[in-house]
Amino acid sequence: MRVRVANVATIARREYLVRARTRSFKAATIFLVVAAVLVTLAPLAVRWLDRDSTARVGVHVSTTLAFDPIARLDTTVNLPATPGGRGPFTFSAVSDPTAGRDAVAKGDLSALLDVARDPAGDLAFTIVSKDGPTLRIPTLLRQGSSVLATTDRLLRGGYPADKLDALGVPPSVAVVGPTPATPGEPPKDFAGEIAGSLTGQALVIFLFIAIVLYGQWVAMSVAEEKSSRVMEIVLNAASPFELLAGKVLGVGALGLTQYGVAIIPAGVAILLQDRIASLLLGQTAASAAPAASGLTPALLIAFAVLFVLGFLLYAVLYAAAGSLVSRMEDINSVVAPMTMVGMAGYLIAVYTSSGLIPADAGWVVVLSFVPFLSPYLMLSRFATGLAGPMDLALASALLIVAIVACLWVAARIYAAGVLTYGQKPSARALFTAAFAHRG
Amino acid sequence: MSLQITDLRKRFGETQALDGITFGVQPGQVFGFLGANGAGKTTTMRIVLDILRADSGTVTWQGRPSTDLPRRTFGYLPEERGLYPRMQVLEQLVFFAGLYGVPRKTAAAEVRGWLARFRVPEYADRRAEELSKGNQQKIQFIAAVLHDPDVLIMDEPFSGLDPVNVALLKAAFLEMRERGKTLIFSTHQMETVEELCDAVAIIDAGRLVANGATADVKRASGKRVVRLGVAGDPELPWLADLDGVRVGRSGRDYSEIEVVPPRDPETILHAAIKHGERVTRFEIADPSLEQVFLDLVGRQAAPDEERTLAHLPANGRA
Repeated sequence: MRVRVANVATIARREYLVRARTRSFKAATIFLVVAAVLVTLAPLAVRWLDRDSTARVGVHVSTTLAFDPIARLDTTVNLPATPGGRGPFTFSAVSDPTAGRDAVAKGDLSALLDVARDPAGDLAFTIVSKDGPTLRIPTLLRQGSSVLATTDRLLRGGYPADKLDALGVPPSVAVVGPTPATPGEPPKDFAGEIAGSLTGQALVIFLFIAIVLYGQWVAMSVAEEKSSRVMEIVLNAASPFELLAGKVLGVGALGLTQYGVAIIPAGVAILLQDRIASLLLGQTAASAAPAASGLTPALLIAFAVLFVLGFLLYAVLYAAAGSLVSRMEDINSVVAPMTMVGMAGYLIAVYTSSGLIPADAGWVVVLSFVPFLSPYLMLSRFATGLAGPMDLALASALLIVAIVACLWVAARIYAAGVLTYGQKPSARALFTAAFAHRG
Repeated sequence: MSLQITDLRKRFGETQALDGITFGVQPGQVFGFLGANGAGKTTTMRIVLDILRADSGTVTWQGRPSTDLPRRTFGYLPEERGLYPRMQVLEQLVFFAGLYGVPRKTAAAEVRGWLARFRVPEYADRRAEELSKGNQQKIQFIAAVLHDPDVLIMDEPFSGLDPVNVALLKAAFLEMRERGKTLIFSTHQMETVEELCDAVAIIDAGRLVANGATADVKRASGKRVVRLGVAGDPELPWLADLDGVRVGRSGRDYSEIEVVPPRDPETILHAAIKHGERVTRFEIADPSLEQVFLDLVGRQAAPDEERTLAHLPANGRA
């Protein structure tokens, strides 16, 4: 089979340019850019909007306490989310509990914390709030109640009052693996693994979205060409293989352009989040979003390789699927099997990254080399440090073999499918036809 | 050397679409490829173009198998007309030519030349979906010839065109022949075939039923046609008594009478005089291609309905 690269390029060029010029593409791209930046900056916006808002909580004490409950609450549960900021509550003493309840009913207070003492001598609390017990204010106030009760018990037991503040200082905790088999190797770095798994999860999600979204584009582009019946003219000039390859590359390149255009501003927004936060909120930069830790150059390369190969593999099959339908509305049913397989890889990868499935389980390791699943699973294993460059190279090699094989089969399905109008051919008819056509 | 089609066979499911088709087309000929709907014309064309592969049989051009020929050898106007609806005419024609390796500038200049000769230069910047069906067809014809192919294969090129555009297209055909191109087309308009075609092939149910120079095919039936005009009553009741004679068409000016051998056409003139007719016209001619076609295929020719591979197992061949 002779493939004319010039034809592939001509077809890819047409796909790219014609699609890029459509109003719907431009509108969707602008929408994606704006949406990506907004989503990235949303937490910042919420913090900015919330910067002055605190919940006002009344505290009524109907017993004698050896400490100031409001001061104690302020130093424990009412800590600001960022240094220099304000805590979630403004506490005030309430002398009349009935008036306090009325204030909660009217909305003047968000909640009332009633502190009493039970017959056994322990503190007993009543939280009056319009919110259910699982919402944020009652939950935080329950933690506050525990602190107050513990403080009360400690003081009654003779704990020195001046050492109360030191109680809240967190201890130093290190989590390390068992002694390594090879001496001299440092203990496993769990902190790095956690950062890696979070980054891995995010990248797996990006990959899945791109494959499903742009794979669908490829299928639609084929179906569109078929329904306009221009196919036969093109088929005289170019082989189905060239047509298929050009389409996958052209639509793929356009999809990646759109993805890049949307992701780069969002990435810049993430990197600048700290500065934007300090500008908006006047706080020190260190406090804002967690930096993109774990996003090492090696992981970025792995992502790029698996992204391109994974997309090509799926896009080739999406194109073959698109050639089987005559009407655009039938596309969803023919691409469903591919979407299901992709979904399986994606879910296993996400569960593996989040620890629900052990990432070093034998079957996960095997599946991470299986072409349709490897883009997701190898990415997730590579991100957590469980797979190395050699594993990545092997998975990529298998992907390339699979792409070539799928391209060969898909070009035949495509050749048989594109000249078939009217009805969905049976699997057997398709199989026979596929091998009777030129490649 | 010619385009030689040898013993082509193709089966779709239960249906034998082509059953040993063999014929040749000489370089520089205008060749009519005729057959009723579903006879196998489109399938044959697709196999010649290597869009479809035959189960057995060969297609060669200048001695080389069609599978080895550069794609630009052939220009194709398919029966299923289609353009990219939202692409500008000039842009998509340049794209099609590009697939055959024609540089963009050369292609653009050629396109403008063809649009001018089809009297629609202003269409260059229009989108295909804005054009009428007939005008889209002209654009598709241009797509088929832009890369200057040696052999032009056209499936029903005249269907759906008004008489003005039919005339423009015929002129274009003749010019392509002047340039030494080989033209093969299918049509149901037999007058057009008689007017343009040096040779024809007629197929029926996947088999070749006639092939050769147009005049030879007409004569091969052995039939002659007598056009007889008489003064007065055009009814010729005495013809019913003659053997080997059938009135094909009776008109006010003259009647057309098919004469089957061994009857000598001249005996009709004798019979007319014997019956006291005043003969105003007597002419012996070959039968029309339409008559030959009807005799061979046995069905009235009609424009092709939409017909695709998917329909094949149900109702025959394409």
